[in-house]
Amino acid sequence: MTPRRISEAELHALVDGELAPEERAELETLLQGSPAELALARDLADLNEALRARYSEEIDARLPEAAQRLLAQVPQRPSMRTVRYQAFAAAALIIALAAGTAGYIAGDMMGDHGRAPAFVANAIGAHRVYVPEVRHAVEVKAAEDHLVRWLTRRVGAPFVAPSLVDHGWKLMGGRLVPDGGRPAAQFMYEDASGRRLTLYIRKEMGLSNTAFRFAEREGFDAFYWIDHPLAYALAGRLKREELMALANLVYAQLEAVAPSRSQSSPPPAPPVPSKPGR
Amino acid sequence: MGSRRDAVAAEIPRLRRYARALSGDNGEADDLIQDTLERALARLHQWRDGENPRKWLFSILHNLYVDSLRRKSRRPPHVGLESLGIEQSAPAADGASGRDLDRALQLLSSEQREVVLLVGLEGLSYAETAGVLDIPVGTVMSRLARGRDRLRTLMDYGGGNRNGRAPLRRVK
Repeated sequence: MTPRRISEAELHALVDGELAPEERAELETLLQGSPAELALARDLADLNEALRARYSEEIDARLPEAAQRLLAQVPQRPSMRTVRYQAFAAAALIIALAAGTAGYIAGDMMGDHGRAPAFVANAIGAHRVYVPEVRHAVEVKAAEDHLVRWLTRRVGAPFVAPSLVDHGWKLMGGRLVPDGGRPAAQFMYEDASGRRLTLYIRKEMGLSNTAFRFAEREGFDAFYWIDHPLAYALAGRLKREELMALANLVYAQLEAVAPSRSQSSPPPAPPVPSKPGR
Repeated sequence: MGSRRDAVAAEIPRLRRYARALSGDNGEADDLIQDTLERALARLHQWRDGENPRKWLFSILHNLYVDSLRRKSRRPPHVGLESLGIEQSAPAADGASGRDLDRALQLLSSEQREVVLLVGLEGLSYAETAGVLDIPVGTVMSRLARGRDRLRTLMDYGGGNRNGRAPLRRVK
């Protein structure tokens, strides 16, 4: 007897698990007598298998707790500000994911490996140099109201000295730091236990913004990001999650005043999922 | 909202896997994931109760991907890490055939690639895929067939270990 013809669509449906059990059984029986179709079905199944084998290495990546917490901080009601804040949270989440899994992210997201931009090394260097100072940790104290005015004028773009006092970090003051012959600003913070944190800001001449990234150098950690026209690095010797949470707060305050924001904020997007007109 | 955020977080590895296969560039994929998360987090309230988070998130990713292709077509090519001599992460299994698969996928139309990956890699049903891409199920099936035909040709399936080079069979 001549078995009925098997359509190619049926073979796809078979390997994709789209058939009801009885259809599947019927088709499998038919395939016994149809070597060409059987070979095609195997090819299709192999193809699915090859895709999974090629791209599945990271499917087991578990979300680290730090990322979960971060996600939990995302404000409920998005405003223009929180949209940026969420961009930050999303970026930090990706970094946390990368840090929590076995290093499949290329480039400097896993740590700088010597590839972080030069300003990050400079920021960490400045941190190392000035943090141990007892009497001359800062050049201009926070109490002097020209601190920010002076630094923004020298660096050449507006920014604020973020306030972390609600989180236990007092702004001590700031200083001007040379960065490849150009002026950069350093703000220093201290907590009740005497730990110190520095925020480094300089004008960024390059064109591209970067996502939030993590770098490590000689035991000092920094989170850095470039948001044209400024580059920022928050350095300290803290637990990474703690530093990340602080960077989160710093970012949120800086983004409120940064000059590029009004142009770079994404336009309101259509509802999701959007339905294209038919 | 907390459980919704957890649900979103739980999908990240899958979204990332899909984005990497789809874009063929890890940096681009991470940008895509970041944008997807950003949009998803901003719109948790739009996620209807009972709606499958995977489908919702893949829809967001799809829309952003289409937008990015549109933008790319208007812009000069971007300089990827590879062209700067920076190694991308190592391929999963064997390097050669893995890269072949990367390349072959990029030679499909983006529409075929999406369907081939959503069904073959992500294991979405045809109906779910149709929902994510907002196209009829019949279109999913025809794109799938054409995309897989093309992939088999590019990957030289049916050649080598089987009897000669199998031309694409259209069994009616």
